[in-house]
Amino acid sequence: MPGNIRSVSVVWVLSVCLFCSRPTSVGAAPICANAQTGCHILSLANLFDRVIQHSARMHGVSNDLHSEFEQYFLPSKNQIGRVSRNCHTSDILTPNGKENAQRMAREELTEVILKLLVAWRDPLWHFHQSIAHHHDFNNFSSNKALEMSDMVHELRKGVQKVAEKMQMLGIISNSVSGLASHEASLPSGSAEWRLMKDYELLYCFRRDSNKVQNYLKILKCRIMPEHGC
Amino acid sequence: MLCARMRRDVGLVLLLLLSAAVKCNSMSPPGKPVLLGCRSPEKETFTCWWEPGSDGGLPTTHRLFYERERLEGTHECPDYRSEGRNSCFFDKNYTSIWVDYCLTVVASNALGNATSDPFKMEVMEIVKPNAPENVTLLVEDREDSPCLHVKWERPHKIDTKSGWVTIKYELRVKQENSDQWKEYMSGKQTHISLYSVSPGVVYEVQVRCRLDHGFWSEWSNSTCVKIPNYLQTERPFWLLVSTLFAIPFLAAICILVMKRKRVKQCVLPPVPGPKIRGVDVQLLKSGRSEDVLNALIINQDFPLMVTWKDQIEDYLIVTENDEELLPHPSNSQKRKKSLIIPAGFCLDSEIQCKESTASQSDTEKAGERKNEKDNFLKSNTSLSGESSSNTVPPLLPTQKQQCPSLNLVNTEATDQSPSDHQNAVKPFANSSYVDIQRHVKQVDYSKVKEVNGDNILLLKKENVPLNSSGYMDDQRQENISEDYSRVKEVDSDNMVFLQKQNVSVDISCRDKSNHYTDCPPQKPRNPRVTGPNTERTESGYVDTVPAPPLM
Repeated sequence: MPGNIRSVSVVWVLSVCLFCSRPTSVGAAPICANAQTGCHILSLANLFDRVIQHSARMHGVSNDLHSEFEQYFLPSKNQIGRVSRNCHTSDILTPNGKENAQRMAREELTEVILKLLVAWRDPLWHFHQSIAHHHDFNNFSSNKALEMSDMVHELRKGVQKVAEKMQMLGIISNSVSGLASHEASLPSGSAEWRLMKDYELLYCFRRDSNKVQNYLKILKCRIMPEHGC
Repeated sequence: MLCARMRRDVGLVLLLLLSAAVKCNSMSPPGKPVLLGCRSPEKETFTCWWEPGSDGGLPTTHRLFYERERLEGTHECPDYRSEGRNSCFFDKNYTSIWVDYCLTVVASNALGNATSDPFKMEVMEIVKPNAPENVTLLVEDREDSPCLHVKWERPHKIDTKSGWVTIKYELRVKQENSDQWKEYMSGKQTHISLYSVSPGVVYEVQVRCRLDHGFWSEWSNSTCVKIPNYLQTERPFWLLVSTLFAIPFLAAICILVMKRKRVKQCVLPPVPGPKIRGVDVQLLKSGRSEDVLNALIINQDFPLMVTWKDQIEDYLIVTENDEELLPHPSNSQKRKKSLIIPAGFCLDSEIQCKESTASQSDTEKAGERKNEKDNFLKSNTSLSGESSSNTVPPLLPTQKQQCPSLNLVNTEATDQSPSDHQNAVKPFANSSYVDIQRHVKQVDYSKVKEVNGDNILLLKKENVPLNSSGYMDDQRQENISEDYSRVKEVDSDNMVFLQKQNVSVDISCRDKSNHYTDCPPQKPRNPRVTGPNTERTESGYVDTVPAPPLM
């Protein structure tokens, strides 16, 4: 008899624990593999936190790589041509200040983020390739370049998920166009990046990764101001 | 006259020359200014400073011009005053992040201009916040150790609410006298608790912060605090307590040391050696066995053997006609044996005893034993509690085979033994060894089944399964307690009327139904109830009758 009571109590305790822990421990659950609308295990706040952390890390890596390049190449800051330097993403209209970013609509902001991320996938891949074949750079730089390139890819997927979730929750309208088609409709000047040197590429990417990080943070604090803003 | 005029002209000319010389030194186009740097405290505005060159003696003005990515034309600094001299402040409207600026400063005076080198910058690269404000320290008194709480405020104007920037803090602490700073990361919190502080020390604390990946701010001004010295007041208390405990402890130790013999006696009492009363250890060691034996014998208290006497008498009473029941004449010896045995060491070898008693001539034996017996008698007469004819001779702890035990009480059975022997035997003291009890069992009690005729008692055979036939004696002995036949009446001559105990027999019959196929019929068998001793027998068992009539 005591054995029965014991097993019953153990089962009861376990079930209570499961029920209690379900609403809180959402972080441990994996992101849905399929893009179906019925899949919402992770909360939006959680998703945002993930992508923001990811973007922060991406920016950190790009920052490190840029400093390394500056040591090697020491480009003179007084080049006149530098003012009108053209990153290949220059034609993407991005808000250049806090107020501008806050004034921009959520859908637009999300689209801008996605555009930026899409635009950088190929250039970074090629950048990594060129570094890997260069003998001047050590393995550390090469690894970082590869990491950067992967991160852009992952971040883009993450932001897409966030956008979908927001659309599902009704936070943003469905005007965010089918994102898969974005890759096809790249701006015509997209081939410019091939003309850029490695250093310039890094400079541009450092800037753009900072933009992505900031825009994501603004978006999150606008939608969910109570979560760590 | 001429000389005076000449002198005046020369003076004038000299003066003119001097003034011209003076004027020539201060007038020059301005020197080249140098842009020192720019700084944005919150990533929304920024300020730039420059260092002016020489001014060339003329009032010089400095102007800052900038060009910006994605902005046409050259623009001038919107605000020269807010940040002091030689500075330019760009407010929110003029600040754009993620775009390049190219700045130049132009110094100009009446004689010319001077342009500084262009300075390229981007707001993202020049972010350096102000130091945190209002650093406050609080000491908390806890039981184990004190704890220091440090709190501060976010620098002015930094906007973290909208998520535009993420601020991180860092703290450093040092003791006043040393030079070593200890640094702690605080993350986004504006407070921190330090637990590794020692009392009685003055601590200095500084805090700084940074935004995202920008530069660290300057350290805030030092804030000092002294941890109070409260722990020291507790020390005398403990000292007092420990001395109070130590004094009685020391006193106890002194007492123990002084009285150590007594303590030893108490704690470790001496183990008593073996001691037999009346026996001297030295005597034993000397080895004279007779003396030892005498000592042993004399000093012993032999227990009184009352029951032995009873049993002998019972035995005698029951088996009166030993000629009939015991046809063999040598059975008298057997009886003797049975009497003798309990008295001596002849436990294991009954046959030996019998032989020994038979072989030895009685006279010899009597002669030997008499002495001993006399000795024994002398000592034991005082000891014997009950005077009775039955005594048990002492044991001599020598060879068992000898069986020097004397004959005991023998009345009619001792026809063969010499009378003097018998007489001599009589006044033996009543003493024997405990072993006798065992031999009592060998006296056969028989269950009386039926009284046949005048003086014939038919012994009841127990219907025990025959595979345990060898143990019939034991069975009988076991059942003795249950199956005693109560003597109801003793007839004057030699008749005993036994009383049937109907109840007990019934029970026994029922319980042991598998053993007894037929219970004896329950008929009172006391046809004649006469005799003088009727009353006495109602009590139950046969009392000891002194001087049995059979003798």
